[in-house]
Amino acid sequence: MKLAQVSGLVGLGALASALVWGACAVPECTNPDYSDPECRVVAENEHARLRTPSSIEVRFQDPAAASAATWDARGRLELEEGVVHARVAGPGRFAISLESEDGAPDMVTLELDNVDPSADVWIDRAGVETPVLAPADQSLRRSIELSITPGEPVFVRGRRGCPEHYRVAFVSDIQTNPAQFERILEQLEQEREEGEIVGQPLVALVIAGDLTESSRDDEFDLVEGLLRNAPVPVVVTPGNHDIYRPRHPHFNRRFGPGNHVVQVCDLRLVMLDTGSGAIARSVEARLPELFDRGDARHMIIAMHHPPYAGLTGAGWSREDRAQRLLAEAAIADVDLIVAGHAHALRDFPAIGVGDATLRQVIAGTGGAYQGLGEPRFGYLRVTVGDAEPQTCFVETPSPGFSGPQGQGLSDRLDYCP
Amino acid sequence: MHAVLLSLTVAVTATRAPEPANESEDAGARHRVCHEKRQFSCCTSQQGPCVRTSMARLTLLGVGAAVGGVAATMLFALGDRSNAGDPATFFVGGGAIAGAGALFGSLIGRLGGDAPGDDDRVRPSTLGVDYSVPQPGALDETNPHQMRMTFAPNFFFRNGGGRIRVFGHVGGTLWQERQVDPRPQFQQPIEGQLGTAPVALRERRLSIGVGADLAVNLPYPVFARSSFLGASELRYKPEFQIRRETLDPGLPSQRVIERTMMLPLTVGARWRLSERQRFTVYFGPRLDTISFAEPGQEGLERGGAQIGPLYGEAWYDVDFPMTRGERRDGAVRRANVNSQLSMGYVHSRFDGRGLNFGPVVGFLGPVHVRWATRVRPTDWPVALQFGAGATIGNGLSAAANVGVVLPDLTERERPTGGQR
Repeated sequence: MKLAQVSGLVGLGALASALVWGACAVPECTNPDYSDPECRVVAENEHARLRTPSSIEVRFQDPAAASAATWDARGRLELEEGVVHARVAGPGRFAISLESEDGAPDMVTLELDNVDPSADVWIDRAGVETPVLAPADQSLRRSIELSITPGEPVFVRGRRGCPEHYRVAFVSDIQTNPAQFERILEQLEQEREEGEIVGQPLVALVIAGDLTESSRDDEFDLVEGLLRNAPVPVVVTPGNHDIYRPRHPHFNRRFGPGNHVVQVCDLRLVMLDTGSGAIARSVEARLPELFDRGDARHMIIAMHHPPYAGLTGAGWSREDRAQRLLAEAAIADVDLIVAGHAHALRDFPAIGVGDATLRQVIAGTGGAYQGLGEPRFGYLRVTVGDAEPQTCFVETPSPGFSGPQGQGLSDRLDYCP
Repeated sequence: MHAVLLSLTVAVTATRAPEPANESEDAGARHRVCHEKRQFSCCTSQQGPCVRTSMARLTLLGVGAAVGGVAATMLFALGDRSNAGDPATFFVGGGAIAGAGALFGSLIGRLGGDAPGDDDRVRPSTLGVDYSVPQPGALDETNPHQMRMTFAPNFFFRNGGGRIRVFGHVGGTLWQERQVDPRPQFQQPIEGQLGTAPVALRERRLSIGVGADLAVNLPYPVFARSSFLGASELRYKPEFQIRRETLDPGLPSQRVIERTMMLPLTVGARWRLSERQRFTVYFGPRLDTISFAEPGQEGLERGGAQIGPLYGEAWYDVDFPMTRGERRDGAVRRANVNSQLSMGYVHSRFDGRGLNFGPVVGFLGPVHVRWATRVRPTDWPVALQFGAGATIGNGLSAAANVGVVLPDLTERERPTGGQR
């Protein structure tokens, strides 16, 4: 056979393969692989609604929604022993709709989790509001008994009061060291008490991924248990270690959405799922909507992989999408980007994008192994008020260290007083 | 190993390759006996300088394993927090290519692939077209094919001292890319679509790149004890890459984002392990700029450059001269045919390609495998070149290319033999 014939056959074979390959397109995630970020978009939406055995449709909603026709991935719903467990994705406003289309009136128990103890929660029946009692302790959980009448949707809504100044804590990369993270939670309890005294309450803890080392159930159980007793609502998004077992959406089953927006008072907090080294294309399409700050004065975005990696080598697998995200962030005039992935504390105070300047802080200090040298564990405190958000670092030394070991961190980031 | 290490430190001196010495009959006999016994330390050829290819490949394998191993150890020991993480990751990828190339080269060598090479071996075509096919998207999505026009003329220096190649490309996606929003609350059929997920993003991409690759032959041997390990050369490859992406997320105005990667100080080295096998490595800093046009804005907002991740490449090339022997029927060959297999690691995720596995996400660049064939009709000044390849990283994309090889602008200066 001559070379030309061989080449022709190879070419025809390649063309036929391409045609067959292209002709077999199926909807996204028909064959789930949850290491694909698009599959996690599907999963986070599926876990934001459920139907009880008595045909009550429970859905997380946009807080502004008046209809229960659609739903929005702002939390995770799970049915366990007849009780609907609803983990709200973060502090601020939330809404859950419950509706039964037919059948007899029914009762349902709704267990809310991750709700600020000081938040106002009420039941909304066609505009008639019934408040839900706040917990006697500092628990993040509330239990509500609801009667559902067919054709009459019921909303459970929540809202947190807005102080003039407030704090948000950011950390990432717990992984192999949940014991150290527990110390950080203890420090946060102290911070919550101090914040109340000085009029700057701590309103949320944001974890930018890598809650586990290998996505094992026992690791998720441990971290979930710790977070259930956190002093403030916890906002999470997955890291690459949280999607390690891609046959099931382990992270989304536990914590709900990785891509979502939390609006606390005048702060818009946008969480992006970069566990696969990039956001999903459909999320990229939604960036202008996610970054539309509306009436929010400040905007912070958080994700696991830093879109600007500098020389750490630990950036997005898809740098093209990372750079496009930076461009969108510049267009939206984002105040701060917080990430993890690199097990370190790093401040990039001036990332030039077009004619704008962005700031990014890597806070991979949640407990994960940091290599040789003195580890630096703790969290980034962001104080939000009238002016630009202020940042500082709270160190939580591991046993054997008496206090902060490091020197000044950068021109704009230092230890909290 | 010495040849490579010294190639980074020895002053660049363009010198003519030594004329092949006339071997004595005894030397020829020793060479034949060595090959008959398949001894490890045989010279590749009895023509020209003695290069002990097996020894050279073993050295490369050792260097690759050592560098990759040390770099991987650094990553785990130091953690990925340090700035050493980026070069260490490149050394892991480059070391893997060096090791895999040396092993593959040994296999080819054992099969007779260490014979003399062909002067007309595969190099980038002077003018060409690349066509690449990405993995298909989901239902109602389009992942457009891409086409690029390429150029790479060569200018050879006098006396075989080296050459400079100017290279570049212009191209982009051939049609619009479409991505759907897969969120499952939409169950109504959508006009013009097969599925129920609405189109969320439309995009077009333009790609432009230009650069120069300067290769300067080092004196041969660089160092007396390296004479058996093959010749080497130093390289300098400044390069600029521009990607302009027009995104339409369904808003009134499109977004235009232009990303530029500047590689002004990329340097490298090539090690000729045999006349048919080469290992090439490049390494250098990278500067990025991101410009954008806000919705409704005419011009791009441009700003200063930011330091990006380090850039690097590692390649192992194996030549396959297809028409070196006589035809079995004794007829005169009508064409000279040469092929080349290249495998490489590129430490850059600028085009969104990166190798991920397990929890190792966001560290490595893509791996490339390419096959190219050059066909030059006898006595023709022009050759035809075609090839195919695959890029592995964030999926798999296949590419084919075809091009013409025009006479080099300084053809008469082009050396023959080992120093090409």
